[in-house]
Amino acid sequence: MNSLVEIRDVHKVYKRDSFDVPVLNGISVTVPKGDFLALMGPSGSGKTTLLNLIAGIDKPTRGQVIVDSKEISALNETRLATWRATHVGFIFQMYNLIPVLNAFDNVELPLLLTHLKKSERREHVQSALNIVGLGDRIHHFPRQLSGGQEQRVAIARAIVTDPTILVADEPTGDLDAKSAHEILDLLQQLNADYQKTIIMVTHDPKAADRARHVLHLDKGVLVESQREEARA
Amino acid sequence: MRFSKLVLRNLFRNKLRTLLTLVLMGAIFFFVTTLLSILANFEAASNAGEGQNRLGVQSAISLANPLPLSHEAKIQKIPGVVDTAKLQWMGAYYKEQKNFFANFAVDHDKMETVWDDYSTPKDQLEAFKADRTGAIVGPELMKRYGWKIGDKITLIGTIFPFNPEVTIRGIYKHKFDSSSFFIHFDYFYEATKEITRGTVGTFWARVRDPKDMAKISQQIDDMFKNSEYPTETFTEKEFQQQFMAMIGNIKLLFTVVSLCSIFMVVLLAALTMSMAARERVTEVAVLKAIGFTRGMILTLMLIEFITLGLLGGALGTFGAKFFYKLVNMTEVTQGFLVAFGVDNETVLTCLAAAAIVGFLAGGLPALRSARLSVVDGLRKVW
Repeated sequence: MNSLVEIRDVHKVYKRDSFDVPVLNGISVTVPKGDFLALMGPSGSGKTTLLNLIAGIDKPTRGQVIVDSKEISALNETRLATWRATHVGFIFQMYNLIPVLNAFDNVELPLLLTHLKKSERREHVQSALNIVGLGDRIHHFPRQLSGGQEQRVAIARAIVTDPTILVADEPTGDLDAKSAHEILDLLQQLNADYQKTIIMVTHDPKAADRARHVLHLDKGVLVESQREEARA
Repeated sequence: MRFSKLVLRNLFRNKLRTLLTLVLMGAIFFFVTTLLSILANFEAASNAGEGQNRLGVQSAISLANPLPLSHEAKIQKIPGVVDTAKLQWMGAYYKEQKNFFANFAVDHDKMETVWDDYSTPKDQLEAFKADRTGAIVGPELMKRYGWKIGDKITLIGTIFPFNPEVTIRGIYKHKFDSSSFFIHFDYFYEATKEITRGTVGTFWARVRDPKDMAKISQQIDDMFKNSEYPTETFTEKEFQQQFMAMIGNIKLLFTVVSLCSIFMVVLLAALTMSMAARERVTEVAVLKAIGFTRGMILTLMLIEFITLGLLGGALGTFGAKFFYKLVNMTEVTQGFLVAFGVDNETVLTCLAAAAIVGFLAGGLPALRSARLSVVDGLRKVW
């Protein structure tokens, strides 16, 4: 598989008052196109920071982040926002749907940034909601949906622009076991059937088991890398 | 607009808070619209004489000092002067002192030549002219006191020891003045000549060509400059403005109160808008994460806050416009506010002020939201 994400000797240091807090210490990772990668590690290990860097919502203090042959760590904020709109789909632990918009409008949000016509947008939204199995809930507001359904709408929002990469931070962290299972099934389906590259941060070994590839971080460095075959 | 649904839904996401903010802003803009309309009414009153080819002649010492009747013939001889008339402020009231209104003694036979902007039906005007104790009255006064033509009225004098007993002979119509009371100067003079002794408060001169107003005005004042009774001649607009100058401080007061009210509404709206922005920190971070730029977030939030300001402003301003259409303010204020209403200029001024309120109050919260780092905003959820 071709590499989609290249992390080259990335360091990240946060400033907290007058202290420098190193979070990532010279990480280098390559994520192939079509991979389903799980990032694991204890709290404070730097896995979410690494995910933020890959998603283009944060910048490394040093090093390079290259996604789909583009060095996103060199882009300014506006260019990064435009890049994210077309290349990254986000799945959050708490779903983070806009409560005043119904499922259809929530999924349509990223498409408002494109040049698609209303009818084309409608088609895309309907098909994204069908993929996640909520084609019949388009007029439901987040408060009218269960946690699992909300996360499905969030996944529809993440895939509606057909992004290069899907990033998910603890996507099952707020769900019951059954819903979590369904969401992981869905992510696997997106990876297997639609060749979506997925990078997921998780604490849950069961969730990590669904990934093709697992990276373990501790104190800002990679400590272990496992491939699906090795775990089988 | 692609984002209109998002803006509108956010605007009404907390319906109670939005409603209370709108009611509060509406109340303040109702108040501001009222003050500005009163100022506009004053302005209109001070411009009431605009376009009239009429010069007012008063004593150069003060309006309270009379001029000799003999001045009139001299003024009349000035080339360009069509006609002149005497006008005396009587300062009388009807029955009780609270029933006070503008009342004058005027040359009854000069209504058509010098006071032609006061239109009275011909038969009523003839009846007024024919009756030495006749009076013509503004429609607002007629309504206020329930008078009708033919009624005998007694006014009680304050400046002069003279209580005119008159019969209403006609009702005039005028663009701005709907509550004045005119009686014959002859009748007034006959009764007060022991006191007035050949004097009158003002003369009014109708000028043929408006271009000659300044020249004739100068000629009149030059003519009496070295006399015992020097004059000061004004155009009618200047004469009205002289009265309005007396309430100049009220204008300043109203302007200051309006500005303070708007400042107050800015603070209150800023509080509401800050709360609205603060509770959406995570949502803004999510929007930024999925590709909304800083400029888009700023624009969307500003549109939302300006819309809120405009809605509040529109509620108050159009509410006031509607209210003052229903309520006769001339009657409520006993003639102090004549032909009162909210004009389009005031509506536009208030709506512009409301938009500025939205911009000022929402500017900082919107800017803070737009500048929010995605990582900081998502920290709660990542």
